[in-house]
Amino acid sequence: MTTVQWLLMLHISAAFFFVGGSVAAAILNTLAVRAERPSETASLLRLVRVTLPIIGIGVAGTLIFGIWLWHELDFGLDAWWIWASLVLWVIANALGGIGGRHQERSRKLAEQLATAGDTSTDELRALLRDPKGNAMSWLAGLATLAILVLMIWKPGS
Amino acid sequence: MVLAYSRPFWPLFLHVLGAMTLFGAILAAVILSGAAWRAPDRAYLRKATFWALVSGIPAYIVLRVGAQWIYSNEGFSGKDDPTWIGIGFAVSDAGLLLLLASIGCAYWWQRSGRPLAGRIVAGLSCLYLALLAVAWLAMSGKWG
Repeated sequence: MTTVQWLLMLHISAAFFFVGGSVAAAILNTLAVRAERPSETASLLRLVRVTLPIIGIGVAGTLIFGIWLWHELDFGLDAWWIWASLVLWVIANALGGIGGRHQERSRKLAEQLATAGDTSTDELRALLRDPKGNAMSWLAGLATLAILVLMIWKPGS
Repeated sequence: MVLAYSRPFWPLFLHVLGAMTLFGAILAAVILSGAAWRAPDRAYLRKATFWALVSGIPAYIVLRVGAQWIYSNEGFSGKDDPTWIGIGFAVSDAGLLLLLASIGCAYWWQRSGRPLAGRIVAGLSCLYLALLAVAWLAMSGKWG
């Protein structure tokens, strides 16, 4: 295998970790929102943490091997789709971080309620379904999807 | 994420998106089944495992349709196909059986709570996750 093939394999593996880990986190979050008891919500939101190292490896790997490939493949500094992907990469991470903090607030409240009778309250329900907090995670997902589109489409190359 | 050169956009996009989403669904199932195995009293984790696996079905369909679309576009015939295509199809076909068997066992586990069903679900999900990793490594590295 050539250097480019190795880099492509590692870059795509990182992309699988990034996107797959995010999908797994989204599934766990959706299940947590639909759970009946606060203890169940808290437990499912705790499991979201398991996906974070996987997403982290993906986030770092896509950037490192992506920039390396950019150099190896001589795409040049005028490849606007790579710059756009880098901007989207930053946006996806920033929005994902904000969405994650919102999930952490929900988890803490769910844990408090779990130890105090394990009955859901309007406050928890409102926090779990908060459109602003959830929008951050969905927008992070959309930004990631847009990166995938640019990477496959490669407009102008 | 530089994924490919000179291939039509839609088939490859659907194939890759389906594969990544399927990986995420199976990863969620592995995490949930592991947690449910350690805490057998928590029935909701068994139910969540079942639904995580079920969410892999649409992703599998998108992956498979995209794969067949690319295969037809590029004029492969099944004769002397590269090794990486063979690996991809083998994992795809065996994967469907694994996915359906996992869903069936997860349903049995959800209804009965029997530890054996949980072990089978966790084992099959881990095996499928590993096979998916082999497939993407083979296809992205163009093995053979």
